[in-house]
Amino acid sequence: MLKHWYQAKKIIASENKKNIEIDTSNVKKYDVIVVGAGPAGASAAYFMAKQGIDVLLLERGPFPGAKICGGTSLIAEHTHKLFPNFWDECHCERIVMQQAYWIMTEDSLLSTSFQSLKLAAAPYNRFTVKRRVLYQWLVDKAISAGATFQCNYKVTEVLFDGSQAIGVQIAPPQKKQFLADIIVLADGANSMVAEKSNLVPRVSPQNISLYVKETISLPASIIEERFQLACGYGSVIGLLGYPTAGFNGTSSIHTFQDSININVGMTISDFSTSGIRPYELLSRIKKHPFIQPFLAGGTVVEYGASVIPEGGYYAIPEIVHPGLMIIGDAASLVNGTHGINLAMWSGFFASQAAYESKKTRDFSAKKLFLYRTLLDESFVMQDLKANAKIAKLQRDLPYLFDLYSKIAAETAFQISKVYTMPKKAKRIFIFKKITSMQPLLKMASDIWKVIKVVRG
Amino acid sequence: MNQLEDQLAVICFQPDEDWQHVMILDEVICQKCKTKQCLTFCPSSVFHESIEAKQPIMVLYKQCVECGGCRLICDNIDFSYPRGGYGVTFLEG
Ligand SMILES: Cc1cc2nc3c(=O)[nH]c(=O)nc-3n(C[C@H](O)[C@H](O)[C@H](O)COP(=O)(O)OP(=O)(O)OC[C@H]3O[C@@H](n4cnc5c(N)ncnc54)[C@H](O)[C@@H]3O)c2cc1C
Ligand code: SF4
Ligand code: SF4
Repeated sequence: MLKHWYQAKKIIASENKKNIEIDTSNVKKYDVIVVGAGPAGASAAYFMAKQGIDVLLLERGPFPGAKICGGTSLIAEHTHKLFPNFWDECHCERIVMQQAYWIMTEDSLLSTSFQSLKLAAAPYNRFTVKRRVLYQWLVDKAISAGATFQCNYKVTEVLFDGSQAIGVQIAPPQKKQFLADIIVLADGANSMVAEKSNLVPRVSPQNISLYVKETISLPASIIEERFQLACGYGSVIGLLGYPTAGFNGTSSIHTFQDSININVGMTISDFSTSGIRPYELLSRIKKHPFIQPFLAGGTVVEYGASVIPEGGYYAIPEIVHPGLMIIGDAASLVNGTHGINLAMWSGFFASQAAYESKKTRDFSAKKLFLYRTLLDESFVMQDLKANAKIAKLQRDLPYLFDLYSKIAAETAFQISKVYTMPKKAKRIFIFKKITSMQPLLKMASDIWKVIKVVRG
Repeated sequence: MNQLEDQLAVICFQPDEDWQHVMILDEVICQKCKTKQCLTFCPSSVFHESIEAKQPIMVLYKQCVECGGCRLICDNIDFSYPRGGYGVTFLEG
C-alpha cells in the first residue's frame, strides 16, 4: 500500500503538466494492464494469465468484437500453433475450400480459383469467422485462465512516472485509474491511446486504408449453390481492378454460414482526395453484372466501416517503451490485409517478455525488448519484411491494380474470342491491342519493379 | 443518399445523448475550406452542409461508425471514441 502511495505521489509530481492526479484510494495494482480485447489483447491476456501473471483486460465496447467489422478469414496453421485444435472450441462459419481472385473490368471478369479437398481436412487451411464469436472465445479463454476483464471501459491515455508507464486513465463515467508494472496497448489500428500518450506519431493517411462492408443474408443452400460449395465449406474471393475505380485497393467476399460479407477499401488519402464516397464504391461493385447474381435476393443485415494499417514494415512505430509494449494493429502488424494471426502472435510474444520482466522485477525497455526480438525472429516480421516494398510500390505505381486488371481481362477476352483471322495474325493483333494500353517499355519497367519487390 | 439511410437503418447504435465524440473545432476554418473532404469521406455521412449559406457544418455524431478516419484527413476535426459502451455495435463480423 505504502508503495502505491509513494508511486502515486511521484506521478503527481512528474505529471503536473498534464494535470493528471492519481486517486490512490482503492487503486489496485496489477502486474499487467492490456488495453483492447481484440485478437492481440485477448491473446496476450490469456498467455499471461496462464503463466500466473495478474492481468487486467480493458475493452471500450459493450462486448468483445463490437467495434470492428469486415472480413474475416483466419489462417489455420498460425492459429493452431498457438491454440491447438482451435476449431473444436471456436465456432467457425465455414471451412475455406476455395480461394479465388477475380480480376475485373466493368464488363469482364477473369477468375483464378483454387479448390482442393486438401484444404478441407484437418489441420485445414483457412476458416471464415465472425468477429464477435472469435473475440469472445479468446476473452473467455483469458478469463478462465485467471485474467480480469472489464468491458465498457475506454482508456484515454497512459499514466507515466517520468518516462516509465505505470498505469492507465479511464474516460468518464468511470473516470478511474488503474496501475500496473507493464502496460500493453492493443487498441487496434489508428491507436489513439499511443498517440495521445506521445508514444507514436499520428498515422499517415497514406498508410491506412478505410474499408466499408456489408453483410448480406442468404440461405446456406443458396450460398452453396451459387459458389458451388459442398455443405459447410466456404470460399474467400479477392476482387481486383474494377472494385476500386482506378485506385490501388482491394475488395473481398467472404462466405459465412448464412450470409456473405463483401467489403472494399483503399487508402484514406485516396478516398479523401478523390471525393469518392465509400458506400457508393461498395454499391457500384454490388451492381456489377457478374457480382449481382451472387447477391440477388439477399437482405443487407449490417453495414459498417473500419480501417486497416497497410503501411507495412516501414510504418511500424517504436513498439517497446519503458514499462510498455504495443501489439497487433496498434503496432501496424498487418501483412496485406491479414492481421489477426500477427495480432495473436504479437500478444503471445508480449506475454513472454512480460513473464521474464516479472521474474526479475525489471520493467525497463531493455528488458521488454525481448518482445521485439521474438517478433523479429518469427514469421511475423519475416513476412512483413518480405513484403516491405509492396506498400511503396503501390504508391509509386498508382495505376498498378487498375491498368493490369484491364490488360489481363483484355488479353483473356481476346484469347477466348473466336476470330476468323489466322492464329499468327491473331497473336499479333492481341499484342498490338495490349501494347496500346501500356507501351511495351513502360510495361517491362513496371514488371521489373514488381519482380524486384517480390524477390526482395 | 437514400441508399445510405437504408444501410444506417440496419446498424445497431447506442447513442450517447450527453457527450458528443466528433466535433468541428473552428467553424471559420470550414468556411474557408475549399475541398470540404469531410463531406464525401465519411462512410456514414456524419458531416453535412447546411442548406443555407454560411451555416456551420452539421455533425450527426450519433450515426458515426467509429472508423476513426476523419481525424486523419482534417486537423479541424476533433475525434475520440465514444464513452465506454456507447456508439456503434457490430454484430455480424
Ligand atoms: C474490413 C477488414 C477486413 C479484414 N479481413 C481480415 C482477414 O480476412 N484476415 C485477417 O487476418 N485480418 C483481417 N483484417 C485485419 C484484422 O481485423 C486486424 O488485423 C485484427 O483485428 C487486429 O487485431 P487487434 O487485436 O490488434 O485489433 P482490433 O481487432 O482492432 O481490436 C482492438 C480492440 O481494442 C478496443 N479499443 C480501442 N481503443 C480502446 C480504448 N481506448 N480503450 C479500450 N479499448 C479500446 C477496440 O474496441 C477493439 O476491441 C481485416 C480488417 C478489416 C478492417
Ligand atoms: S471539417 Fe475540415 S474538411 Fe470539413 S469543411 Fe471543415 S475544414 Fe474542411
Ligand atoms: S469516425 Fe468515421 S464514421 Fe465517424 S465521423 Fe469520422 S469518418 Fe465518419
